This record gives sequence, C-alpha cells and structure tokens, in this order.
Amino acid sequence: MDGYNFAYLDEQTKRMIRRALLKGVAIPGYQVPFGGREMPMPYGWGTGGVQLTASILGADDILKVIDQGADDTTNAVSIRHFFQRVAGVETTTATTAADVIQTRHRIPETLLRAGQILVFQVPIPEPLRFIEPSEQETRLMHALEEYGVMHVKLYEDIARYGHIATTYAYPVKVDGRYVMDPSPIPKFDNPKLDGNPALMLFGAGREKRLYAIPPYTRVESLDFEDHPFEVQTWEHTCALCGSDHSYLDEVITDDKGGRMFVCSDTDYCQTRRGEVA
Amino acid sequence: MDKAMTVKTETTRDLVWPGLADPAHDSQRLFRQILGAMSEPGTLTTLAVPAPPSDALGAALWGVVLTLCDLETRVWIAADFDSPALREALAFHTGARITDDPASADFALLTHESFDPQTPFAVGSDTYPDRGTTLLVAVERLENDSNGANDEDNGWRLSGPGIAESRVLDIGDGAGCRALMTRLAGNRASFPQGLDVIFGCGAQLAAIPRSTRIASVEARADSQETN
Repeated sequence: MDGYNFAYLDEQTKRMIRRALLKGVAIPGYQVPFGGREMPMPYGWGTGGVQLTASILGADDILKVIDQGADDTTNAVSIRHFFQRVAGVETTTATTAADVIQTRHRIPETLLRAGQILVFQVPIPEPLRFIEPSEQETRLMHALEEYGVMHVKLYEDIARYGHIATTYAYPVKVDGRYVMDPSPIPKFDNPKLDGNPALMLFGAGREKRLYAIPPYTRVESLDFEDHPFEVQTWEHTCALCGSDHSYLDEVITDDKGGRMFVCSDTDYCQTRRGEVA
Repeated sequence: MDKAMTVKTETTRDLVWPGLADPAHDSQRLFRQILGAMSEPGTLTTLAVPAPPSDALGAALWGVVLTLCDLETRVWIAADFDSPALREALAFHTGARITDDPASADFALLTHESFDPQTPFAVGSDTYPDRGTTLLVAVERLENDSNGANDEDNGWRLSGPGIAESRVLDIGDGAGCRALMTRLAGNRASFPQGLDVIFGCGAQLAAIPRSTRIASVEARADSQETN
C-alpha cells in the first residue's frame, strides 16, 4: 500500500516497541511502559494489540485475528483487513495455520504450538487498578510484591457469594513473582496460560503498557487452599459440534425464550464439525 | 585470483560496515529471531546478516545493533571493542549515542574477556526494572545441549521461563565467562532488577534474560541455586 511503511508503524516506533517487548519477555508479567501511538481506530478496539502485532509481523507471517473466539465479528474482521491492507500479509481463520494470532478476550481451544505468538488486546493492564487508583501506588505495590489486597478482593467474593465470583480477567501470578491481569479472558482460559509453548504478548494502547509471558512459564491463578481455583463448567454441549469441553456462548434464537449454546471459538467448532461430517 | 586482488578485497572489507539491505523487512526478521532467543533462553539461532569487518564483534551482534539501536538509545562500548571505525559505523547506521557511563547505557558492547562484574551497568529499579542495560557479549563458543556438541560436564544449566525442563548452554570457560555467568546467576537475588544478556558468536546468537535460573553443570549435584 502506498504512503505507509510496512505494517503501518514507522521503523522508529517499531524499534521502540521491540526494545520494550524484549524487556517484557525478560521480566515476565511486568508492565513495560511504551510510547503508544495513535492508531487509525479508537481506543478500546485493540490499539495496543495492533501496535504489538505491527511490530512483530513479517511479510511471510500468516495472521489470525479473533474477537471473543470468533473470526467473523466486527473487531476481528476490521483488524484482519487492516493488516491485509498495510502489510499485505496472508490471513487465516485456522488456529493451527497461524504464525501470529491477535486475540480479544479468548485463548483458542486448539492447543498452541511452539513458535506461535499470541497477542492479547488489553483494556486495563493493571490488575490492582480497581483496588488502588494511583499508578504510583500500584507500581510500588508491584515493586514490594504487596499483593495482599488482591487476595482480600477475592476473599470478599467468598464472604458475599460463598465462592470466588470473578469470572473473567481473573488475576494470575507469573513465575511466582508478578500479579498480572490476563486481559478479560474468561477464567476458563486461565489454565491455558500455564506452561503454554507459545509466546504470549499483551498490549494496552490507551494505557501504553505491554507485558509478556514467555513459553513454558509457570502461571498460577490466585486462590485459597480451601477455595481452590476452578473453571466454569456447563450442563450443555455445543449445539453445533456437540463439544462438551469448550467455552460456550449463549445465543438467543427468538423472543419466546429460545436459546442455544455454541462454541465461542468458531474455528474450533467448524473444524470439529468438518471432522464429524 | 591474483594477490593484488586479494589484498584489495581485504582492504575493502576493512572499510565496509554493512547495513541492512532491506531495513523494514530485515530488521523484522532479525527481531523475531532475537525475540525467540530471549523468550527461550539458551536456544541458538543463526542471524543472516552481512558480517562486519570486526571478527571480534561478529555478524550476530552487529545484526542486533542494527535491529535495536537508534537515536533514542545509548550504547556503551568496552575498551577492547572500541574503535573509531565502530563508532563511525554506529553513528552512520543507527544514530545511536555513544556513552562512557555504563549506568546510562541501553546497550553495552563487550567481549567475555572484558566483562568486569564491577562495571556499574544499569539494572533498573524495583519500580521500573525495565530501565536496565542489555549486554551484547561476544563469546568464542556458543553451544547448547540440543546441538549435540556439548558434553554434559561443561557449561551452565538454565531453567525458568521459556525453558520446558532445563537447557545447558556453554559459552566457554574463560575467567570472563565464569565471572559473567556468576553475575547472571546473581540476577535471581535482585529480581526484578538485573542484567539481560545477548550472546553472539559469529553469526550465532543466544540470550539469557534476568528471569533465568542458572546453575553450573558441574555443581548441579550440590542442589544449590534452587531459587
């Protein structure tokens, strides 16, 4: 495309983000500040993830973009088109075929392999932000490894509801040190963060922070001995592919209370249906 | 080829510090290799970069410099690397500022021989641990246990993020290498502050970030360095 550098960002910006990414990888779970640029899309639409993807993407890479697991929703379609236009890269919906996967709020059901890079779009990177509004304070809390308040927050859930009611953006501890917000993925996906062979990068555009989980890194979801971390389970199976082990979306089908549950990961669901058929 | 020609080729080689032929795509390719090396400490990767006239520096580290340095970065150069030609090449290709103060350097170029644990490189702070120096160290040997060249009683056993079980990396056993690896093993005690290192040996590259646990292979029976 004329008038743009490859992958939209200028080389100076890419180098700045690349240097920050290396520090992020070297300090797993630590939020590295970076000079976030204004992108041709509003904050909240994945500008952080887009900047990271633009900085790592190569002409030979095959890109997949998902939004809540789906390849065909607005956010995924526009970001995919964006990189088709500004980088001319090949895109795919198949998780196994992708080199780089940009994701909003899901980790694919299909196991990732070594060499793949998963780029998360992050709205609010600071897991302690809802407890402590001051950036200076939260930074100090991370420095001092002062994470008691996070456990208090989870405990308040137990006191009020009898169980930990946090269901998404469930805080994790990376390599036994930094408490990290895994972005608003359902806690169903949290176990996939642990020891994953793929490199996971997180970008927050408005907050101008990036962080990383290297492959094969220990990632624990915070919990209590008597209230261990658990993922959601459903009585239903996917109405389309019959999966009883994937994350399901509830879809309203009419105005008489009709509903169905389907896999949130469209590629996984379609692959399964293809195999069954 | 007659002798005069050879001499001329040698002379030309001495003058040319190569840049990247296709800056946008070459630096992207090199960065992904560097990112891969940093994400999986101790893995070896070969950078396809035109070699600089300094054999001591090697193609891999020159590739790292061309990929990551620009006018926003400060580079510290160890005395045994320092030359007007290198300074000129750095300025010409990257615009990076040369600094004499290791504590303010984003990148430091040195050889394993010139590593001195007393050099006050930046290790970041507890609140901003990312503000540390990345060392670019030229070594004479770079082998790990998966390329088959390592016999089990040499090198250093790495574990931690990026490593499924453990990985042995051998960077040679000179005094400087030992001092450097001992210093890097000390990263765990000061984490999240610490030094991140990229090793270069010719066109080969490997990295050890501060998150890596390091134990000497010889001493692993002593079961020290558990954290």
